Amino acid sequence: MVTASISLRDVGRTFGATRALAGVDLDLGPGVTGLLGPNGAGKTTLLRLLATALPPSQGKVRVLGLDPEVPAERTGIRRRLGYQPQEAGFPRGFTAFAFVDYIALLKEQSQPAARHAEVRRVLDLTGLSDLGAKRIRAMSGGQRRRVSLAQALLGSPPVLILDEPTTGVDPEQRVTLRTVLAELARTSIVVLSTHQTEDVAALCERVIVLDRGRVRYDGPVTDLTGQAAGRVWLADAPDPAASISWRTGTGRYRNVGTRARDGAEHAEPSLEDAYLLLLRGGSPEPETTQEVTS
Amino acid sequence: MTGWHLDDDMLRRYAGRTDSLAEGASAEQHLLSCERCRARVSAAVTAAGGGIDLAAVWDRTRDAVEVPRPSVFERLLRGAGLPAHEARLVAVASAFRGVWLTGVAVVLAFAALAAAIGHARGEWLFLAVAPVVPCLVVAAGYDPWMDPALEPELVTPYPALRLVLLRTIAVLALALPAVLLFGLVVPGETAFAWLLPAVGFVAVVLAASTWFSPLRSAIAVSSAWLAVIWLLAARSGSPDAVLQARAQAGFLALAAASFSVFVLRRRRLRRLRPWR
Repeated sequence: MVTASISLRDVGRTFGATRALAGVDLDLGPGVTGLLGPNGAGKTTLLRLLATALPPSQGKVRVLGLDPEVPAERTGIRRRLGYQPQEAGFPRGFTAFAFVDYIALLKEQSQPAARHAEVRRVLDLTGLSDLGAKRIRAMSGGQRRRVSLAQALLGSPPVLILDEPTTGVDPEQRVTLRTVLAELARTSIVVLSTHQTEDVAALCERVIVLDRGRVRYDGPVTDLTGQAAGRVWLADAPDPAASISWRTGTGRYRNVGTRARDGAEHAEPSLEDAYLLLLRGGSPEPETTQEVTS
Repeated sequence: MTGWHLDDDMLRRYAGRTDSLAEGASAEQHLLSCERCRARVSAAVTAAGGGIDLAAVWDRTRDAVEVPRPSVFERLLRGAGLPAHEARLVAVASAFRGVWLTGVAVVLAFAALAAAIGHARGEWLFLAVAPVVPCLVVAAGYDPWMDPALEPELVTPYPALRLVLLRTIAVLALALPAVLLFGLVVPGETAFAWLLPAVGFVAVVLAASTWFSPLRSAIAVSSAWLAVIWLLAARSGSPDAVLQARAQAGFLALAAASFSVFVLRRRRLRRLRPWR
């Protein structure tokens, strides 16, 4: 019996002397889970482990109840998997249609009419319906990213692993892609990494924050955002008490820190504020309760 | 993609072919990217008794524009009896998009150079290069370094062993006759002497790929062969040592042993399938 879940138990991965992941315990089910973390946090390593592109150095991974260390079960996982890697490389001279068609062949879709219909479907889903015959090397970065996403969507897989799917994609297309992924996530497990906190806030029910190979936060997006309540305030100058400050478009400074000054003008926290606060060493729960004034 | 769609009047005029040239062009431009309006046009035409399945017509049109035409090489593979989808998998390898031609061109150049230089030295030169070209091209056919799309490829369920063997056979089927033909211009008996070493080296590269990357394996094998040829040439005036039946039988044994190792260790194609 195949269960619609992914589990990791005490999973670690090293590359030589470098530890990319350590002691990761996770259970993932249907829905969209976002992975956040700074560069080098282990997001791509984790996604490659889930996509069976990389074995763990320690621990156990189960995808849909199947063990990727057993060759037959690994093939079973790959039949139910869509994977968009971080680095999208394409063979020279390929058009978008030819590349997605090639991956469809490797995914054992050998019947031409059905395969071509499926390729057209995923190109349409990713907004590439009129670019199928265009050579990939002549495409923009965002369009290439969508070609890479299109091949991952082939066959509407029950497990979809996406490494920075919206990088370089224009805002209108990002909204379209969010809709596509949200629809797919009704029945599929979608795990995506991104540096765009607004994508996570808009799309994901759950967020996992990785830092130096370890899970720093795992829970609902709203709970993480809530941890920054009372810790974001506006001022006319950078506040030395803040962990991080930046000048906003209004000319005022947005300060994020563990403890706001008395009488500070508080602002509604965003996921980005909470994420920065978490990484800058803010404690998981507010030390003092302060009223949000704006 | 925009939020604009054909309104009902425009749709009726377009379906009834009573629209102006400019309006029709505008509608068609929009229909290229709007499945919803295509369905509405299809329904309107059907309701008007047109009876044309526009969706099917559209799919055929897109097929004609988008589906890549098979290359000459792919048609050759199909002609040789390979199923169409496997012929496509073989033909798209980067090895067949330049590397193979480069390899054959190198052999051709060396064959011409050998013919120009003369008997013994020309034979040595050709013998040094011809046997290693097939293994280098085979390695390029499935080495991750040569394949920029490796990540999405390697997590597909298609068996790596089958893909590697298909590409290997395709390389040999094309490279051997071509190099053989070029070898005919080389003086002496080396035109055929390189065949068994070439097959042996391909098998060694396949076996070595279960430990190391295919391209590194091929480069190591090629370097070792060049060293052997250099030593033999330094000690002897003619390449008789390579042409002897014992040496040729040795290459055959090497091929058989290496291929056995490859099949036994097929689940350990390290760079293609990092799981062990």
